[in-house]
Amino acid sequence: MSVHDAIAWLQATPLSTGIRESDWVFPSIECVHVIAFAVALGAIFVVDLRLVGLASRRRRAEDLTGQLLPLTWGAFVVATIAGLLLFTGKPETYTSNAFFLSKLVLLALAGLNMAAFHLFVQKPLASVPDGGREPATARISGFLSLALWTGVVVCGRWIGFTTLR
Amino acid sequence: MLESFAAWLGGTPLTAFLENQSWAVPTVQIFHILAITVVVGAATIVNLRIVGVIERGQSIAALTARFAAPSIVALAVLAATGFLLIAAEPTRAIFRYLFWAKMALLLAAVGLTAGLLAGLKEGGGAFSDPAARVAAPYRLVAVLILLLWAAIIVAGRWIGYAEGWPGSPQ
Repeated sequence: MSVHDAIAWLQATPLSTGIRESDWVFPSIECVHVIAFAVALGAIFVVDLRLVGLASRRRRAEDLTGQLLPLTWGAFVVATIAGLLLFTGKPETYTSNAFFLSKLVLLALAGLNMAAFHLFVQKPLASVPDGGREPATARISGFLSLALWTGVVVCGRWIGFTTLR
Repeated sequence: MLESFAAWLGGTPLTAFLENQSWAVPTVQIFHILAITVVVGAATIVNLRIVGVIERGQSIAALTARFAAPSIVALAVLAATGFLLIAAEPTRAIFRYLFWAKMALLLAAVGLTAGLLAGLKEGGGAFSDPAARVAAPYRLVAVLILLLWAAIIVAGRWIGYAEGWPGSPQ
């Protein structure tokens, strides 16, 4: 089964048809998507700005990250489920949309950046003394995260203008 | 009155510019959305602290001090970009009940936030003590404010799908 077949199969499922043909289901899922990603990105930006050194400088970066991580992940999971449902409604439209594909690439890069943060930055960050200077990798990680997530929002909004309603 | 405002706005070079540049409206919406993430992110963190779910080692005073300025800037960006979105299609949003419902919800969210923070400040300890637990009525208001922000997003998203009220310009 090729990717093309899988997309065609998904598009023919009752779930896809139901989302596509209802007047209120798609906009309602969009609302959940926006609420969830607003919370997730808001929290991510707070941590990023701390890592870059632009905000919350009196908080230990390690402590701030720990406090906001559950909120970020919870909201991110909801945003992802809502996003997958939106995709399920029109899979053939989205997979042929350049902004959608770009958004997926940026999401993957943001995920890699997050994994790299957990693997290589979190430990050195935890050993920084109070008021000490964070390692350069922390600032790079925060900057990349800000740039990548902004890119995700840009592509996400442009999808709506380049796919037919 | 709305009709004449829409007619005046529609005749300005601003509307002509926004109509002619296909990139303009999506770009304005991107700034609108990024500002939403700032306001809603800040509101979520501060109100969840008041509820007592996160940031329990931080005083509400310290949190609001950190988030006040970015929130106010983001609200100004939301107002400016919102106005541009109206200018792009003057006969649309302002002739939908949902738009005015959204404005009422926004007023309620901002007013309740100001009232809640003023109330906590009066309470003294609950505001500036990092370990303070907040009394139940205040926590309830914090939850209400979060629900209002969710409702504002819902109304905002549905404005794009809603029809104008009877007799509104087409």
